[in-house]
Formats: sequence, C-alpha cells, structure tokens
Amino acid sequence: MTSLSFLDACFEGVVPSILCTLAADGTPNVSYLSHVARLGDAQVALSNQFFSKTSANLRGNPRAALLIVDPRNGTQHRLDILYRGSVQGGPAFDRMAADLRATSVQLGMADVMRLRAIDIFDVLDVRQVQSDREAAPPGPPSGQSLARALAVTEALMRATALGGMVDAVLDALASAFGHEATLLLLHEPARGCLVALGSRGYGTSGIGAEVPLGEGLIGLAAQDRRPVRVGDASRLRRYGAAILAGSEQEARTRSVALPRVPDAMSQIAVPMEAQGRLQGVLFLESKRRMAFDAEDGLVLSLVARQLGLAIALAEAEAGDATPLAPSGQAEVARGRSAQVVHHAQDDSVFIDHQYLVKGVPGRLLMWMLDAHSASGRIDFTNREIRADAGMRLPELKDNLETRLLLLQRRLEDKRAPLRLHRPARGRIRLEVTARLDIVSDRNPS
Amino acid sequence: MQSAPGCLIDAELAGFLESPVMIIVGTGLGGVPEIGRGLGALVEAGGAALHLVVSAWQWPRTVSQARESGTIAITFARPTDYVTYQVKGQVEWIGPLTPALHARAARYAAEIAEVLAGLGMSPELTAPWRSKRDLVALRIRPQQAFVQTPGPRAGHALAERTG
Repeated sequence: MTSLSFLDACFEGVVPSILCTLAADGTPNVSYLSHVARLGDAQVALSNQFFSKTSANLRGNPRAALLIVDPRNGTQHRLDILYRGSVQGGPAFDRMAADLRATSVQLGMADVMRLRAIDIFDVLDVRQVQSDREAAPPGPPSGQSLARALAVTEALMRATALGGMVDAVLDALASAFGHEATLLLLHEPARGCLVALGSRGYGTSGIGAEVPLGEGLIGLAAQDRRPVRVGDASRLRRYGAAILAGSEQEARTRSVALPRVPDAMSQIAVPMEAQGRLQGVLFLESKRRMAFDAEDGLVLSLVARQLGLAIALAEAEAGDATPLAPSGQAEVARGRSAQVVHHAQDDSVFIDHQYLVKGVPGRLLMWMLDAHSASGRIDFTNREIRADAGMRLPELKDNLETRLLLLQRRLEDKRAPLRLHRPARGRIRLEVTARLDIVSDRNPS
Repeated sequence: MQSAPGCLIDAELAGFLESPVMIIVGTGLGGVPEIGRGLGALVEAGGAALHLVVSAWQWPRTVSQARESGTIAITFARPTDYVTYQVKGQVEWIGPLTPALHARAARYAAEIAEVLAGLGMSPELTAPWRSKRDLVALRIRPQQAFVQTPGPRAGHALAERTG
C-alpha cells in the first residue's frame, strides 16, 4: 500500500476529492468534497458539512470509496476507507476547522461554512488509478527545505539591529523561495490588528498597512496561530484588489493600502510567535500555482519563530542600553515649514495633509515632537520613553523597538521633513529639516 | 410521487448533463463502493434514458459493478460555478459506443479540457482523468435526480420516478 505521507499534495484541497457511499439497499451516492485531511499514515478525516445522505449511508454501511487527486500532475489515487466515527473537537478537528475558515474567507463566505464535525476513517487500501499518460511519480521531497531554512536563519543571525534583521529575513526569503512578494506584519494587540513593517516585491512598501485579526489569510493565521496556505487562487474573489494605494486614499481613510500581487496564485501566511505571544505574521505570495507545499509551511514556521525570538531579544537588549552623551540640540531649521496634525482620538498623525501613522507610533512621534518643540531636544533614549508614565502605553514595554522602526520607515516612505535615526543601541535621534507647525486636538495633560 | 415518463430529465437538465461538466460515477457491489469518471453523456429524446461513456480500461470495477448490480449514481458538476446534479438509476445495458456516442465523447473531452484550462488547470494536468481506452456505453434509466449544488438545497430531490 502506498504510504499516505507520499500523497500530501492530494490533501491540499486544490482538486476536489470524490466520495462514494452505499445506502442499505446498495444504491450508491457519489459526491465531491472539498476537505480531506490526512491523519497520520493510516487515517483520513473528511469535513462533515452538507452531506446528510452520506452520513446516513455511513451509519448503515461504513465502507466508502475515496478518490483523491495530486494537483501537481493530475494523478488519481483510490482509497478504500472505513468509517470509524465523528468528532467535534481535538487537534484534527481544529486543523480542519481552520482550513475551512481559510476557504470561507477567500470565497467571501466567512461565517457561512462552520464545521460541525469531522468524520474519521481508517484507510484500508490505497492504489493509483492507471492513466494513458504515466505522470511522473511525485517523487520524494526535494530536500531543499532545511537548506532554505538555514539560509534564512543564517542571514538573520548575522544581522544586528532590528531594522537589519527585518531586511535580512525579507531578502533571504526572496532568494531562498524564489516567490514574488513577501510581507512582514507586526501584531498590534491594543487595536487587535497586524501592521505591515516591511515588504519585498510589491510596487509600494505598504509599511503601516493594517489587517484586522481574523480577516483574510493573514488575519486568520494570526487568529488561529497556525500557517494558512492557498495553492490555487484562480477561483478566489480578488477582494481588495481594486483598492488604490495613494496619498489621497490614505488621508481619507487614515490607513495604508495593503500591497498585493494582483494575479497571485499561491499564498502562505505563517504566525510569528515568541514566549507564547503572537508577534506578527510572515506572508508570502507567488504567481505560480502550488508554489508553497506543506513542507514550506514547516520551514516558514521555523523561520518565523526564529525571527520572533530575534525581535524579542532585540527589544530586551535595547531596554538594557545605557543612555549616554549630552543631549544634542536642534539647529533651528530654516526655509520651508511643515504642518504636523495630531488627532488624539486614534493618535493619527498627518504631515502636510498626508497621512503618516496612527496608534502607538503616532503617540511616540508626538511625545518626541513635544520635547523637541519645548526644549529643542533631538536625542532620546529608549529607556526614558519606556519610563515616561505620560505615554500611558503599557504595551510599549515589549514593543518599543518595533514601533520605532515602523515609525522610522514610514517617515522614510513618505519622504517626511523629519526622520528618525538610531545612532547607537537604545538611542534615537530626531532629524527635523523644516520648521514644524504642530497642531493637536488632545487635552492638555 | 409518480411522474409522467420523460419528466425526470427535462430539456433544461438534459442540456446541463450534456454540457462540459465534470462527471463522476458511483457504483457498489456486495457493500463495497467504487468511483469512476464519465467521458460524456447523452440524453435520449424525451429524457427516458441516459447514455454514459466510461473507459473500461481506466475504471474496470465501475463497469463490472454497474453490470452486476445494475444500480448507478452519476454526479454532474459544473466547475465554473459548482452547480451540481446527481442522477440515480438502473443500468439497462452496457455495450460498444455508437458513432454518435464516439463523437459525443470526443467533443466532451475537448470541451471539458478547455473549461478546466480556463480555471488554471492545464490540459496536461487534467488529461489523466480522460482516458479514451476501451470506451463503453452505459444505457441508464434514470429514477431519481437531486440538486447537489453546495448550499441549503443540496440533497433535495429534483424529481423521482417510482415506476
């Protein structure tokens, strides 16, 4: 019997599987089903959603025939299976429920398809269906996975500062996987969303773009804390594709458009975690069909965890840094002036009517600008920002470095007349190249 | 409820069954089910019988079980929008293809390959589902037809013939 583990591609849900059961009187019932999962080497699970006739048949006669298809070459495999029972919980159920949610979200049917139970079957036999053209056998895994993981983690290991780590991982992923585009997003627990911190392969950087938890592939991977993968997006609704990325749109919505590969066929979103906390999501897209397989999911999970740990370490180290040096004073900028507008309601900041950031990075920027306008300060330390109770941002304790990086990159993206620099670990320098006219609607504290 | 002969497969359903839709076949013998694929269908005028083309080389057990048990289920699903119908019936006869059925099978194979290609699955990828070796024709008397499009109406009987 062919080992089920060689047939992993058949369980991707790309080509629908077929199930046949028999009624008590022997009348067959044949139907398509979208979700079949492999449970170890001797069992499969089917999602039990609409198939009432199938369920009734299986209660009378537990024998069923299953046909699964390898989406890489069309090879068909026939499984003889025996119904063992249904379960409404457990790891296999959770995994299938997550897969189903992913499908529902892509089809724009979120909340429509709820998994009630999964049916567990023993696999009695597996055989390949003969065909005129003998497709090349799927063959063993390429063995490149570990080499890819190593290449990416090696690049990560060599990087020192947080910004360098993010860039190193994005670059190394692009060359290791050869896919079109990558997005790295951070978890923003206070607002229940993910914020893009860096990208490769899109026309725009998308830094600052947000994805609510639970929305789309990225939001689902974060919510369920498990990798979510699509291998054939041709039939999926390209929702969101029409949203134009532009300054006008950004200012109106106080948000940055999420960058997309409009004709992506494959996507994978992998959660980034450290110390039991969700830190963000790595998201890869490709125009190739089936660009990411199950093993890539494992490899990317390893990479994401390494990156998560590295970020956590960078945060911790930055907090230890000693403040030093006399604080620099700003030279009074001459020439052009720029208007900075802050809305306290969501801490959104606009520079010359262009949307910059909101939330924690907005609050951070305003805190530095206040000190700058009061005393001309341009040098700040990580430690004093953490210590300042006025920030009232408990979540900054572990997230300050990533938020500073987000702010720094967004200022660069917008070619703003003020920039952040990191002259040394734990230190921040503000560069102001225009006379700032700062307006905020917050209550004076 | 008894329907008048010919009502089970009306002209509209016949048009659907003969269009480029995926055709999957269920049979069973001695409590053991089998799955196969069809390579085109033709509805007799009036809808009283359905002719199904199957490769006996690729799906030998489908053909042998249909011959021995006489019961069959065929699901027709349109890949572009998942509109799906299942027809269940009695296999009355299995034999060689008429020239008309040969032409039907050839046209079906070409058309369904094109539809699937339009959905991103290349003809090379889907070719293993369309063997043309040892084609046989099954003449089926339909007895039940069900809507199986995913959704709340899935499984509803479209029509049933008890006679």
